[in-house]
Amino acid sequence: MKSLLVPTLSVAVMAVFAQPAAADTILNVVTAGDVNMVDYVKDYLGPMFEKTHPGVRVVSVGTGPGDAGSQTIYEKLSAQKAAGSTAWDFDVLVIHQKMAGQMVREGFLVKYRDTVATGKLFSRDSAKNSLGTNVEGFVLPMFHSQTAIAYNPDMVKDVPNTYSELAAWVKKHPKQFGWNGIKGGMSGVAFAVGWVSAFAGKQDQLVAGPYDKAIETAWDGPLASLKDFNTNVVITPGNAGTLDQLNRGEIAMGPVWVDMFYSWMADGKLPPNLKLKLIDPGMPGQPMYYAVPVGSAQKQLAEEFVALATSPDVQAKGIVERFNWYPGIDADNLKGKVADAAWAKLFGDIPPATLAKNGQSFPITPYFNDILEAYEKKVAN
Amino acid sequence: MSRSSAFALLLVAPALALVAVFFLHPLVLSVMSAFMANGQGPTLANFSRAFELYSGDIIFTIFVVTSATILTLVVAIAIAGALTLSASASFIAALRFLYRWPLFVPFIVAAQCMRTFLARNGLMNNAFVALGLFDPTTTSGYLDWRGMVITFAWKQVPFVTLLIAGAMASLDRATIEAGRDLGASRLRVLVELVIPQVMPTLLVSATLSFVLMLSVLSVPMMVAGTQPTLITVDMAFRINAYGDYGTANALGVISYLLASGAAIFYLRHTLKDDRR
Repeated sequence: MKSLLVPTLSVAVMAVFAQPAAADTILNVVTAGDVNMVDYVKDYLGPMFEKTHPGVRVVSVGTGPGDAGSQTIYEKLSAQKAAGSTAWDFDVLVIHQKMAGQMVREGFLVKYRDTVATGKLFSRDSAKNSLGTNVEGFVLPMFHSQTAIAYNPDMVKDVPNTYSELAAWVKKHPKQFGWNGIKGGMSGVAFAVGWVSAFAGKQDQLVAGPYDKAIETAWDGPLASLKDFNTNVVITPGNAGTLDQLNRGEIAMGPVWVDMFYSWMADGKLPPNLKLKLIDPGMPGQPMYYAVPVGSAQKQLAEEFVALATSPDVQAKGIVERFNWYPGIDADNLKGKVADAAWAKLFGDIPPATLAKNGQSFPITPYFNDILEAYEKKVAN
Repeated sequence: MSRSSAFALLLVAPALALVAVFFLHPLVLSVMSAFMANGQGPTLANFSRAFELYSGDIIFTIFVVTSATILTLVVAIAIAGALTLSASASFIAALRFLYRWPLFVPFIVAAQCMRTFLARNGLMNNAFVALGLFDPTTTSGYLDWRGMVITFAWKQVPFVTLLIAGAMASLDRATIEAGRDLGASRLRVLVELVIPQVMPTLLVSATLSFVLMLSVLSVPMMVAGTQPTLITVDMAFRINAYGDYGTANALGVISYLLASGAAIFYLRHTLKDDRR
């Protein structure tokens, strides 16, 4: 009995210890995003990466949506940096624009664009400039999301092409346009910012700086006209509220996120005849960024992971077809890789040329905050 | 100090410590932060910004929460009165069964239901149209202050009814029956005999409802647009959009003042009862 027990036990012990020894370099990918984005890494990108990298396990962690999620990542890394840790807990970061700028300024990120093969596939300004900070080389856009005006063609015959035409349309059709103000989600924030930059001008200075408070006097007129505009619109409860009211036919038009619009339509929560229009001179959108922290113990693997994630195939199947996001890499790299139906859907209402012309960035942080507060002061109260 | 009172103090010490650490400490911090700006203080800068940007919302908050409290009381008195004065046992049983349901529904769920129920082409209006009561072109949505008042009242009525009906049940039935014998209608008995006797309970439950509704974030976020909105939404926005805890805390202090107005009311009545 005894003679049998010892070898059995030692085999069992060996089996237990052999498991982690043989396998598993762990690559930690942290995402400041909603569950769907965390699942995108966990269920889609992770397994794909593990297949080409035997012995590597991808662990996907989420810190929650919005800038607050990026803030959490920053706090964790900054604590590890302050403690002098040599192997930080995260290897690949998925972060928002505001925090990407701050992390670059504070020296948290690896300059890796030139070492990955896909680094050449980005020509949009968003790969270089993040709300006024030069981030060139440190980040690669995972995807772009974009706001646009959604409308119901049964109710809107003379579709407005510009903000001025929209204002005139709303006068003629009171309570047919709905938006969510600035406290009910980013689609409303994007509309307010787009309005101010359309009527006050200086769009370039708003998105690239330098910050000069003097130009803000030009906002008074646009904000007064926005207040007047608001008397004829419906203020909806949130991003989802605008889509809900479009769905029920209570409003005929409203600003929405393009990816939400298509996802809701695919789920049957919006009538399939609704359309999008990216009016002149444009509306803001924002990318999410892939970045590699300087304290990662797996920089090589991390860069390979980002290279896979920004490869045309993954951008086509994952980003465009699965999530209806606009690709992070330039769209012309995806021709022939995206199913025709998905391509027609994403670029049918807003062709790539319009997107390039009218897809704006959000303003640099100080202007961004000033626009919101000016709106609160002059329009909302 | 006697040994038994030392022992009693020891027993309540954990509870006191919890209150101190998780309530008093953050309360003091938040009040202090309301009077600080850029690490400097004391200053009223946060309050002047709060009034400059949110004076409309502060008044709106008082209006919505007061209206909701009044509606809650009216409906709760009607239900509790019916439970107390109705002669039909089966009606009472059915009402008693039904009115408590919203107690078990969280605010956020109630708000999500009301979003589709009260919309212009929502369930309620569609039902009215189907019944031929409304013309579809003349319906209007309730996703504004009315939606908030209705949602708050829907959620708070069972709680207030529970308290008031309990108080009514413990009244001396003789006064009610005397009134009925002398020919008073049920409504008159309710208004002139029953309500005056349960007034303390009524005021206390109104106070508790007022304070609770003042603190809700989900309902104004989900049921109505944000112009105007309740100050809870403004507080969340100050923090999420600007990282500005100072102004958020100034709004918090304004909210404490509104609540403590109600709390003074509450204390006066409970203390009076205790003295009796």
